[in-house]
Amino acid sequence: MRADKKTKLLAKQLFKLSLVNGAVSPEQVTGVLGYIEKHAPRQSLALLQLYHRAIATELAKASAVVEHAGPVSDAALQSIAAAMTKKYSRPVTASAKANPKLLAGLRVRVGSDVYESTVAGQLATLSL
Amino acid sequence: MLTLLLATVDTAHAAEAGPLEGLKQTFTHFGVEPKYLVMQVVSFLILFGVLYKFGIKPTISTMEERNKKIGDGLRHAEEMQAKLAATATETAALIKAAQLDAQKLVDEARKSAKEFADKQNAEATARAADTLAKAQQAIELEHKKMLNEARGEIARLVVKTTEQVLAKKLTDADRAAYNEAATKELVS
Repeated sequence: MRADKKTKLLAKQLFKLSLVNGAVSPEQVTGVLGYIEKHAPRQSLALLQLYHRAIATELAKASAVVEHAGPVSDAALQSIAAAMTKKYSRPVTASAKANPKLLAGLRVRVGSDVYESTVAGQLATLSL
Repeated sequence: MLTLLLATVDTAHAAEAGPLEGLKQTFTHFGVEPKYLVMQVVSFLILFGVLYKFGIKPTISTMEERNKKIGDGLRHAEEMQAKLAATATETAALIKAAQLDAQKLVDEARKSAKEFADKQNAEATARAADTLAKAQQAIELEHKKMLNEARGEIARLVVKTTEQVLAKKLTDADRAAYNEAATKELVS
């Protein structure tokens, strides 16, 4: 089902209600979901999908996934989280994820933004 | 009437006796009778008149007519000859003019044909040169494309080989050091 304009606007308003100090609040999200369950607005499925997508995108912006090959120290993860928090002006947490295909180096993904410094990336640049 | 005439003549002869007497005697001597002579003369004159009226005059008239016709025919022939000569001259002039015109047309046709042939040759040469240039450009492009493909394939193989070598040769210490450097690069 495709959402109409009113549904999109409502999803946007509910998403804004879910933020506290620029971050997604679990309590607010619970309240929003309760509201939807109670009032069952029209196109509730499409509304929930839009809301879920917005929350997931926002959560992804608040999380930095650090792909790495080889050992990565906690200090490095913390420094990356601090740098991203400063860059995006909101709390960003860093989580490590092993990726041997990178050969060596780090690839940081924040939302749809990607920062990379890996041997595989440099070799790929050479092959172009 | 003839008898009356002869009697008149005899009377006249009798009246004129004298100087004519000698002549009369001479005629008599030669057996010539004047009355017969006169009759002969009159008969001759009558015959001459009849012949002149019905024979000579028509003949002369016919001859004159024929002469006139012949003269007209000759004049006509002369005119025709003159006309023929004039026509021949005019025809010769016309033929000469026609020959000149024909020669002119032939020359123009030759000139046009030569110009057309030259133009066709020039166009064919230009087309051939253009085709050759395009073929050379296509060959050069194909050559560059092949070189690029070969270069890309070689680079891909080198990178793949390097990746395999690095995957085997890099130690955890090397990776940790590289990760630290990457962290500094990303943080800065």
